[in-house]
Amino acid sequence: MVVQAKKRELKEAQRRRRQLEERCRLEESIGNAVLTWNNEILPNWETMWCSRKVRDLWWQGIPPSVRGKVWSLAIGNELNITHELFDICLARAKERWRSFSTGGSEAENEDAGFSAADREASLELIKLDISRTFPNLCIFQQGGPYHDMLHSILGAYTCYRPDVGYVQGMSFIAAVLILNLDSADAFIAFSNLLNKPCQMAFFRVDHGLMLTYFAAFEVFFEENLPKLFAHFKKNNLTPDIYLIDWIFTLYSKSLPLDLACRIWDVFCRDGEGFLFRTALGILKLFEDILTKMDFIHIAQFLTRLPDDLPSEEVFASIATIQMQSRNRKWAQVLTALQKDSRDTEKGSPSLRH
Amino acid sequence: MGNRAEEDYNFVFKVVLIGESGVGKTNLLSRFTRNEFSHDSRTTIGVEFSTRTVMLGTAAVKAQIWDTAGLERYRAITSAYYRGAVGALLVFDLTKHQTYAVVERWLKELYDHAEATIVVMLVGNKSDLQQAREVPTEEARMFAENNGLLFLETSALDSTNVELAFETVLKEIFTKVSKQRQNSSRTNAITLGSAQAGQELGPGQKRACCISL
Repeated sequence: MVVQAKKRELKEAQRRRRQLEERCRLEESIGNAVLTWNNEILPNWETMWCSRKVRDLWWQGIPPSVRGKVWSLAIGNELNITHELFDICLARAKERWRSFSTGGSEAENEDAGFSAADREASLELIKLDISRTFPNLCIFQQGGPYHDMLHSILGAYTCYRPDVGYVQGMSFIAAVLILNLDSADAFIAFSNLLNKPCQMAFFRVDHGLMLTYFAAFEVFFEENLPKLFAHFKKNNLTPDIYLIDWIFTLYSKSLPLDLACRIWDVFCRDGEGFLFRTALGILKLFEDILTKMDFIHIAQFLTRLPDDLPSEEVFASIATIQMQSRNRKWAQVLTALQKDSRDTEKGSPSLRH
Repeated sequence: MGNRAEEDYNFVFKVVLIGESGVGKTNLLSRFTRNEFSHDSRTTIGVEFSTRTVMLGTAAVKAQIWDTAGLERYRAITSAYYRGAVGALLVFDLTKHQTYAVVERWLKELYDHAEATIVVMLVGNKSDLQQAREVPTEEARMFAENNGLLFLETSALDSTNVELAFETVLKEIFTKVSKQRQNSSRTNAITLGSAQAGQELGPGQKRACCISL
């Protein structure tokens, strides 16, 4: 017995040593990567960001300390939003919160088409959702350190884009940005990110366009995972069932946060196609068990993924997904489908192949 | 009524949970299927799923519950999920009158997309917060009666009436189905439901009937 216990102890010690070594190695490689990003890549962003070396390093995950900077640069600021504009939008949002809490008049609502009731509902909803954003982190909830910041960014956005307003899912995106950027920069990244075609289609809930995105996804689904694709078809499992959650929150709600951030890294590099590539990577990783499940079990599984997904396995799986269909890339497939659906709308029969 | 092994069932009933954001749909579902309640559950985006199999007499009924997002803007998407549903829990928060005021709109949306014979229960949730009540029980009960809906007040937090709510809906569906079966046994034409709700079963499983009412 004593011998056995000693053996166990020894084994446990070995395991711990290996774990420690692994962690040291990881920390060292992150340390090295930080140096490379800070000293070589960031100062020469324009010339270096699309180089092979940087792309490879990027795929391995951006070190948390430079992540915010890289995301900001990669997302860009097409909308030319300044810190001052953020301050103005935030001031207006605060003005509105005050007027609603004191029961202000409707006369000051200058943006046509949006009733006071709608706005109030949207403010209520932001309040409700903030407490339901990463609740387990306990930093966005009432009294938490980032509660006000999340509130500010979402409120400022509804003033910046009253035509879009607040839509559920936004709180998760803003929260992930807040974890990596200061408030004004987070707002700039947030607004520019939401302005991308895929995000606009979803957050405006442009149903037709969303269906086109799902159709494009299915083209690559069938190409990459024909067996699983057939199984899903047979079970009437449409992509909206799982993609809506994944795309709206950019995986931040459904995947462990560190893995979600790595997905964001490459999404910032490769664009919207990577979001759908990730979805296929996840499906492929679980292909064997999914093919044995029926509709409800697949739906349940995909809308509540295991919470211990290892990043490396997910990325290895994503890497095997080819975003090429008959020599056409994501953007080309999407454009062709968009054209098709426009033609159908017009009533002219289109030639599908 | 008791629980049965998850995969051994005679019927699959698709039930949808609808109502405004934040009224407690997800918690009602987790209370019913897992006996769990979370003070800080996450916003539902799109749709989530859960199942529970219950015994009704000698029949095992698997409730396949679709928990939908409450956001108005999402309705274009989520209303498609009502198709094939044989039951619905239309939930409001009895401490927030606004969530009750829009019940009629939800009902219209439901009838626009689901079968007219769908069994609907109006559910006033958060009955544990009596001091904050904004919707009188009688008012909601009257509305339910006038519109041919079942009605209950529940608390997902302290479990009050949660089982009863789901079970009542499932029983009502079951009664309708049984009647339909009796009627149709003469013509031998049981309607099997849409493939979405009545999936193919693996070997060794009982053939499940997914009946559209």
